[in-house]
Amino acid sequence: MKITPQAYRKEAVKPIWCPGCGDYAVLSALQKSFSALSLKPEEIIMVSGIGCSGRFSHYFNTYALHGTHGRAIPTALGAKAARPDLTVLAVGGDGDGLSIGGGHISHAARKNPDITYLLLDNNIYGLTKGQTSPTTPTGYQSKTAPYGVSEDPMDPIPIFITYGISFIARAHSFDVKQMTALITAAIKHRGMSIVYIHSPCVNYQALSWDKLREQTKELPADFPVDDKMKALVPAYSKDPLYTGVFYKVMKPTLEDRLEIITETARKSRHGLSVGMSAKQVMEDFR
Amino acid sequence: MKKNRPVKTSKLDFIIRIAGEGGEGVISCGELFAKMAARTEFHVFTFITYPAEMRGGYSMIQIRLRDMTIYSMGSMVDCLVVFNQEAFDNSIEVLKPGGILLYDPATVDIGKLDSEFTLEPIPLTMMAKEATGGILGKNMVALGALSHIFGADMELLEGLVRERYGAKGEDAINKNSRALDAGYRAAANINIEAKFRLADLKASGENYMLLSGNQAVALGAIAAGCRFCAGYPITPSTSIFETLIRLLPLVGGRAIQMEDEIAAISAIIGASFAGEKVITPTSGPGLQLMTEQLSLASMIEVPVVIVDVQRAGPSTGLPTKTEQSDLKYAVYGAAGDSPRIILAPTGVEDAFYQTIRAFNLAERYQVPVLMLLDQSIGYRKATVKMPDFDKLSLVDKTEHRKSVSIPKSDLIPIINRMEPDEHELEDFFRYQDTEDGTSPMSRPGTAGGQYLATGLEHDERGLADQTPKNHLKMSKKRFRKLEYISKQFDKNPIEFYGAPEAVIGVIGWGSTEGAIREARYLAEEEGVMIRHLHPHTISPLPSRQISLFLLRLKYLLIVEENLTGQFAHYLKAKFNIRPIGIRKCEGMPITPEEILRVIIKVARIDDEDNSTSL
Repeated sequence: MKITPQAYRKEAVKPIWCPGCGDYAVLSALQKSFSALSLKPEEIIMVSGIGCSGRFSHYFNTYALHGTHGRAIPTALGAKAARPDLTVLAVGGDGDGLSIGGGHISHAARKNPDITYLLLDNNIYGLTKGQTSPTTPTGYQSKTAPYGVSEDPMDPIPIFITYGISFIARAHSFDVKQMTALITAAIKHRGMSIVYIHSPCVNYQALSWDKLREQTKELPADFPVDDKMKALVPAYSKDPLYTGVFYKVMKPTLEDRLEIITETARKSRHGLSVGMSAKQVMEDFR
Repeated sequence: MKKNRPVKTSKLDFIIRIAGEGGEGVISCGELFAKMAARTEFHVFTFITYPAEMRGGYSMIQIRLRDMTIYSMGSMVDCLVVFNQEAFDNSIEVLKPGGILLYDPATVDIGKLDSEFTLEPIPLTMMAKEATGGILGKNMVALGALSHIFGADMELLEGLVRERYGAKGEDAINKNSRALDAGYRAAANINIEAKFRLADLKASGENYMLLSGNQAVALGAIAAGCRFCAGYPITPSTSIFETLIRLLPLVGGRAIQMEDEIAAISAIIGASFAGEKVITPTSGPGLQLMTEQLSLASMIEVPVVIVDVQRAGPSTGLPTKTEQSDLKYAVYGAAGDSPRIILAPTGVEDAFYQTIRAFNLAERYQVPVLMLLDQSIGYRKATVKMPDFDKLSLVDKTEHRKSVSIPKSDLIPIINRMEPDEHELEDFFRYQDTEDGTSPMSRPGTAGGQYLATGLEHDERGLADQTPKNHLKMSKKRFRKLEYISKQFDKNPIEFYGAPEAVIGVIGWGSTEGAIREARYLAEEEGVMIRHLHPHTISPLPSRQISLFLLRLKYLLIVEENLTGQFAHYLKAKFNIRPIGIRKCEGMPITPEEILRVIIKVARIDDEDNSTSL
């Protein structure tokens, strides 16, 4: 049965975002992806962090957990490990995902849980009105860099490729159609997927919309997505700024790995075909 | 002082300490001996201390054997085995007059010792070299000697050695066996009349396990139905994690090592939200990292169990030593008013049942439960009766709001989460304001049960609502759980020991229970009566029980292992008391004698007061 994109929205809750914010487009794309995949709302867990994009979980009629700053990924990973039968997403921004929570991504990549991470980059701390984020361009005068940002901005896509995340794509919030296609592919991908979305802030244009539009270019259709070294070249490119899938490989998911551990554990007990009871494992300590 | 009152005395109470350098296998030697003893009718209790490093530093294991229940590691030892000079210097003062000293004359200079000891030099190092070609094996030589002296069944011992070193291959087993045998033969020349012969003792009932406190927590979690653990290794809690990560896959569960403690607690919050019973073990520094997520768990009302095996702090502190100094942090460590339940097991067996209780409370009230163990419970081993799994009783969903008894060996209630019924799902209020503060929690996958769990202040449906009225209402709702639990305590048996009419009272918490109990027995032998209260629940406190205990009490002694008197301070904030602190801050457990000294002093003051008033 077809579920409409609207059915995933909690209509009573109005987004807190400013008019013209790119996040509205991501919201719409995500609803369309859910619908395209015919996912049941009750079989989705959406975990979000703190910031403008952290509010994503408020607007969906799914199971939703709006947690603390920077912890969406390990929280989503725990949910998926406990319930492989559900579709689990994590949503956050550049501050949440790359600054306070940046340390979790590399370790999640090593485990490869079958979760989808939407990272909405607006190059600024927008919700709290304009402080520097890890991707704010050097020289931009933010509230916490009144004399201009002195650090270099982070370049997330090459980092993700190096970490070995099994699906990496970049999108722009002004192209809902492409974004929907990429998010849909990311959710379908078996393993950890990241869709990195440029969703510029309308109030603090650390990175201007116009410049983004000018520089954006889709990766060629025949781009080899399974080669890390080749993926790094377009990943580092600023002009053109490529969109599409940079890297996509199949490797065991966290759930697969846990299943293998279970089998290995059982084999170590004379090849048990079923699990043991609490009483049986306590015999070890006799 | 009052007249003597007969107390229960045991026919046999024997303490052996084996001390050496970290890496010499002192602990393995002691544990194998303890394991043999645990197969007999004896109760066994071990205490371990070792340095935080892999090699070097003072390391010891103390094994107490008794024909009755053992409550503490004891103080003076009957038999001391020392591998090196440092071990000798550190331990000789605890050897009882007439006690047995086994030492390696090549590495230990005993100097001028009183001849009141039975001295037995054994060339441990030389014999280990002869038997194995290396010096690793001293511990097996010592174990062999002890086995001869205390009449062990060598076949049983060989089997235990094989079990322990089997994974290291035949060569390792053979070397260990040769060293064991050499020690055994060397001790044949020793003429000591041992107080017992292990092989001659009756075998224990079949249903005993020899467990460390940490293992008891892991098994308690499994018995309670926990099937998800995420953790990050931290001494002295690591063996809980290691046990769970080994056993959970066997019982259909999952365990994951995360990148840090923040990720660990995040993962269990995610898994609990998804419907599992969850746990993460840690120690003080890890608990500090977890605090923000602990507040989140309070706020979104998701059940989690966190175990803090306390080390001596602050900071890295003394990772392998014991202290009760995380109490204030556990009780108050939060931004905002963040309710949590805190349980403090008193020993190994209690750790098993309190862990089951921790899960029951977490699931029943949807609140984070923190268990405070300490290194001395976590590392000690004790004989624990195998619980009767036929006495496991699942509490029906409809009986959820009724009072639930505390798990004991003869009845173990297991509580599962309260889920919304069909009627409630029609218009679901996840955070419905109820009489006991707890609301039904839907399991993802359940249609109609979708809700938002947000760390923002929210209304009964779970939607963000930061209005003044709502914040007050929902804060009260979350705290009502603790008020309700505190009232439920009135239905529980009082955790009260000793003479109810005594004017001297002692309150302790956690691992000091055994030492206080033994101090009470010793005081009774000297004609001093005391009453003893030992709450297992630190938050919320059993307020009515404590008030009753304080009635007509002249002197209140509060025993704790920290410098500043954290528990006394906590109680002072809630009760009008002026306690005398008995505190120890040395990284070692308090002993019955240390507590007894203060009790006797107070009893003398009381005697003088009484005589002057006459």
